[in-house]
Amino acid sequence: MNILEIKDLKVYYMTKNGPAKAVDSISFSVEKNKTVGLIGESGCGKTTTARAIMNFVKEPGEIAGGEIIFNGRNILNLSDGELRALRGKEITIVRQEAQNALNPVMTIGDQIAEVILEHERIDKKAAWQRAEKQLDLVGISHKRAKTFPHEMSGGMRQRGMIAIATACNPDFIIMDEPITGLDVIVQRQLLTLINDLRNRLNLTALFIAHDLSVVSETCDEVVVMYAGKIMEKADVVSLYQNPLHPYTKALIHSYPSIRGERRKLKSIPGSPPLLVNPPEGCRFHPRCEFATDLCRTVEPEIRRINGHSVACHIVK
Amino acid sequence: MNRKEILHVENLKKYFKIKKGLLGYLKKSDQEYIHAVDDISFSVGEQEVLGFIGESGCGKSTMSRVLLRLIEPTSGTIIFDGVDLLSLDKEDLRKHRRFMQMIFQDPFGSLNPRRTVSDTLRQTVRTHHLAATIAEEDKLIRQAMEEVELVPVEEYWDKYPALLSGGQQQRVSMGRVIILHPKFVIADEPVSMLDVSVRIGILELLEKIKQKYTISFIYITHDLSTARYICDRIAIMYLGKLVEIGPTEEILAHPVHPYTKALIAAVPEIDPTVKVKDVPIKGYVPVVPGESSNCRFFPRCPYAFEKCSTDSPVMQKIGKDHFAACFRVEEAL
Repeated sequence: MNILEIKDLKVYYMTKNGPAKAVDSISFSVEKNKTVGLIGESGCGKTTTARAIMNFVKEPGEIAGGEIIFNGRNILNLSDGELRALRGKEITIVRQEAQNALNPVMTIGDQIAEVILEHERIDKKAAWQRAEKQLDLVGISHKRAKTFPHEMSGGMRQRGMIAIATACNPDFIIMDEPITGLDVIVQRQLLTLINDLRNRLNLTALFIAHDLSVVSETCDEVVVMYAGKIMEKADVVSLYQNPLHPYTKALIHSYPSIRGERRKLKSIPGSPPLLVNPPEGCRFHPRCEFATDLCRTVEPEIRRINGHSVACHIVK
Repeated sequence: MNRKEILHVENLKKYFKIKKGLLGYLKKSDQEYIHAVDDISFSVGEQEVLGFIGESGCGKSTMSRVLLRLIEPTSGTIIFDGVDLLSLDKEDLRKHRRFMQMIFQDPFGSLNPRRTVSDTLRQTVRTHHLAATIAEEDKLIRQAMEEVELVPVEEYWDKYPALLSGGQQQRVSMGRVIILHPKFVIADEPVSMLDVSVRIGILELLEKIKQKYTISFIYITHDLSTARYICDRIAIMYLGKLVEIGPTEEILAHPVHPYTKALIAAVPEIDPTVKVKDVPIKGYVPVVPGESSNCRFFPRCPYAFEKCSTDSPVMQKIGKDHFAACFRVEEAL
């Protein structure tokens, strides 16, 4: 059963040079109890997609088309009141910079309790007890419930964010690069926590990352985005072992690994296009070594090949 | 090591004073220090890349600034190309600085947003009096831009940093370094803020200029996987101390120190079929301590025993060029 279905979503940012098509006609869905990874380079539209799912796109951005069906309802048609009830309860988000996402003048315990009080008919004392339980769940002792964000390390703040995001048993969690910018050992500890919670709470999640490594360890399925478009979508093992799209292949070949043989790496020449005036045809063609005349003029449709969905003319 | 030594560092220490409060003065309490860099010795050979790996707050960046004497060390010796850096006066130091340069982590933050690419490079040329005429300046700038592959040069000449991608901005920073023909460059996390797809391009460029201009590098990072692709040797730091140093592949294949092992185990794995083991150590990096006579890693170490909490281990030889500071080396091997 699909919890979330995104159909033909378009999000444009209005600039003085015309609309920048940050997300341009993307479609994918997330099944119950599955984690879907969304990867791509900076500026490819990952975070914009996440914001659209929360119906949180702000000026100068606007949702220019499409549907986001969550549990049978189109999120884009909900009233402000309905959205308020939805966010933090049914859909929650763990953001990249916990430092900026947490309230600096409230203790972590209060911030968790606040979410619970907002969404459930429960008294303050019970909410506080739940908050303490949440902290224990994410590996912070409940004795630390009265600490402020500035008294916590980066890893602890991110744990606090996860405690808030899971406080009301959400149906769907968006994790927007939750471990970026942290030290390797702290990253590992957080990945272990996320995987543990995934099993214990049966989470359904969208996990955003800029490369495949983190997604490999946490996700069932992966969506690869480039310049506002979906390039390839497949099961995580199949995507790593048999990538079809040249961009997916290039991403995998550019990733340095410390385990096993040291293999030769290849960078992707050039840089992603400006989205105000994206290239004709396939958006990846200026950087693609296999590009043909067809790629330069006609935009490829998404096709099903070997269980992958892939948008490329040259894949047979 | 058979190569010529470019940099030789011995017993380098940098202690920061902790500010005493009013109460501290009234009680006449002792001055306390943070030992940010504590008794580090190593050397870098000609055309060698030495990686320094460690988590935030382990003293990597403090060390790099001390090496260039951007901040003064508490004690120790730094010999750069046969010259004792700490004995130089300000004027002599300036002359030597030209040959020791730095590339920073944040490509945008290290460029002046109101200077175009050519202006940025011109500034360097002028500061070090490299050219006599404008035409000569232009020639040097053009050469540097071609070297870092900001081509066609005309297209980037008048561009402001805000219009460049992260990778291109980092290339401008590198151009600024190359123009001086340095002998030694410290690269402080040069690729950690860039996308995976452009990282390799920057690393390849570092490799290229290393060969062409015979540059030695210190490559500072918390990411072992990029270090593997550029470093000849790596040194692991923990709370101001060096815990292990040796040839890159040797350390990755046969790590000795428990902290090194944890760092290697923590790196994310791209292959979804590989099951990654848990990291055995617990907790977070504590605040850098002052005076201490124990192994700094022992509170987090799964192998710690009595001695670790009372004595401080010294570096001992493990294999060829491979050293580690741990009391349980025998068990680890």
